[in-house]
Amino acid sequence: MNSTRNSFRAVVLIVTALGRTLPATDHDYDPPVPGSYTLPKVKPAADGDVLDSKGQPLRLHELTHDRVTVMSFIYTRCAAAGACPYATGVLNELHQASSEDRALAKGMRLISMSFDPTADTPERMAAYSALAQGRPFAAEWHFLTTRSRAELQPILDSYGQGVDKKRNPFDPTGPLNHTLRVFLIDHHGNIRNIYSSGTLDPRLVLADVRTLLMEASPANQASPAN
Amino acid sequence: MNNLNARNRKFAANSRAVFSGLALAALILAPGVRADETCSSPYLARIEGQEEFVYVWTLGVEGLGDGSDKLVVVDVKPGSRNYGKVIHSQSVGGRHEAHHGGFTDDRRQLWLAGLESSRIFVFDVRSEPARPRLVKTVENFEKTTGGAIGPHGAYALPGRVLIPCLSNARDKSGRTALVEFSNEGDYIATHWLPTKDEPGKALGAEFADGYGYDARVLPRKNVLLTTSFTGWKNYMRDFGDLVKDADAMKQFGATMVLWDFHTRQPRKVFQVPGAPLEIRWAWGPKHNYAFTAAALASKLWLCYEDEKGEWQAKEVAHIGDPKGGVLPVDISISADDKTLFVDCFGDGKCRVFDVSDPHQPRQMYEKQIGRQLNMVSQSWDGKRLYFTSSLLAHWDKGGDDNEQFLRAYAWDGKELKSKFELDFTALKLGRPHHMLFGSTKIGN
Repeated sequence: MNSTRNSFRAVVLIVTALGRTLPATDHDYDPPVPGSYTLPKVKPAADGDVLDSKGQPLRLHELTHDRVTVMSFIYTRCAAAGACPYATGVLNELHQASSEDRALAKGMRLISMSFDPTADTPERMAAYSALAQGRPFAAEWHFLTTRSRAELQPILDSYGQGVDKKRNPFDPTGPLNHTLRVFLIDHHGNIRNIYSSGTLDPRLVLADVRTLLMEASPANQASPAN
Repeated sequence: MNNLNARNRKFAANSRAVFSGLALAALILAPGVRADETCSSPYLARIEGQEEFVYVWTLGVEGLGDGSDKLVVVDVKPGSRNYGKVIHSQSVGGRHEAHHGGFTDDRRQLWLAGLESSRIFVFDVRSEPARPRLVKTVENFEKTTGGAIGPHGAYALPGRVLIPCLSNARDKSGRTALVEFSNEGDYIATHWLPTKDEPGKALGAEFADGYGYDARVLPRKNVLLTTSFTGWKNYMRDFGDLVKDADAMKQFGATMVLWDFHTRQPRKVFQVPGAPLEIRWAWGPKHNYAFTAAALASKLWLCYEDEKGEWQAKEVAHIGDPKGGVLPVDISISADDKTLFVDCFGDGKCRVFDVSDPHQPRQMYEKQIGRQLNMVSQSWDGKRLYFTSSLLAHWDKGGDDNEQFLRAYAWDGKELKSKFELDFTALKLGRPHHMLFGSTKIGN
């Protein structure tokens, strides 16, 4: 289990380390000023039966309300650098940022939600969560799975997360085909943005999170956008 | 504020590091599989290898076959016994002025729109790609969107589709909006194009006409570009009557708008006279520019980021005499950004430009494709091009000039050579318009 935990952590850290020697070319723009724009409501975030990394059953709605939630659909067998490791890396950046920002730590929640219940048991998700350790003041980060495909599928359908088996089950990048999906959910459980390849820039996600935190602040007396 | 700026700078530095590393890792770890049409949304899941089907959104013709708009599927799989043949057709019932469409980003659905009725027909293309199935119809577009009409296709964004419109219900002029729906069909937002009176934060808004047509994103720069055509009362009108109406002919778009894509806020309005239509962003990692063609002026335009990081637009080539029918409609850029195919409706020719220097395009070739010509779809490897004939039901030519075809060609870098052709009138299908590539092999 330690070796599994360490390998997960290594994936994210190695990728980050490689990047420190290269100039950025993929996101060549300044992020928007939080609060200078609005995020329309896409639809209510779906509920469902999930398990946390201790194997405790939860309802997904318990974790998609009362804070701004960033939820990423992943599976730990994914080795496509531009897919799940990428998404987890972004959440890791947000988690790191929150460890230095009290308002962000209190107002934001992160979720990594597996769509591979066969391999991603609660134990495996607990090992995967190792990369979030060592930041005692950071935002909550939950690592979730489901008991079975039967309990998972309604969640996937509601979120529009398509998952298929690859023709080659031994594909080195992982056995499942999927579209990268990360969801931004407001305090009231409404999806306010959907990120995928090309838009999953942590600076944009952070600007969106801060925008929703400003929207919900008592000083703003804002209502959720329709 | 100073602490926030310092945190943001550190976060930005870390983020750039992560992304650079991920980009490098992706290059190292992932095989370079890219295929599909060169005009596809950058957010779209890609075909692996070569296209297997061409989906053709086709206008029905009264008295021809069932007279209905329909999705036609042509087999283009090499070696198939049905290569170059129609293998499936699904009618949607009625004629809606079938025009353009697009896939959802996961490529599970194909959204096909009608310019007259503003209905959108949603097809499942994932379950059985050779036989798409109509699964949903969006019937209340005007009411849902707050008055936008004339949905001009669907452009894949993460988890949603962006629908640029052509008109509005109030006066059916070209004043219009961009509309967003989730992939599941939930309405999200309407963004009205800027006008002089409602400029938003756009520079140059004194020229803004509020008209729309195409909408495409350059993710790397977080910009969205839109163009401008004309409204319902013009595009649904007989072309011969229209051109005699001087007032009506003034009601064509003359602008492009550059938007901040993430915030959906207009940044700058460019004056581009003569109805700029299709937009094609270059694909190169440092090629921050896009082409469009102004149909009524017969000009090629370039929208580009200059040395100071400012966005500009300028005319870069004269295509032909618009009075002689050289009206550029659809264009297609090659994946290496070196070649631009320009279809001209009136004279039926495809003109091929060397755009290695995007600021100085040079025509290198032309081919008579038909008596009228509109759409062109190009494969990623640049070796295959597909052409269709119909522009609009009331604008297509009459009599013998009213050829309605899909013609496929091979391109070897020097000339177009015919591969197969389908006569949509003889097949009793209708007027073929938008083409999109299908496959049983979809990558991530």
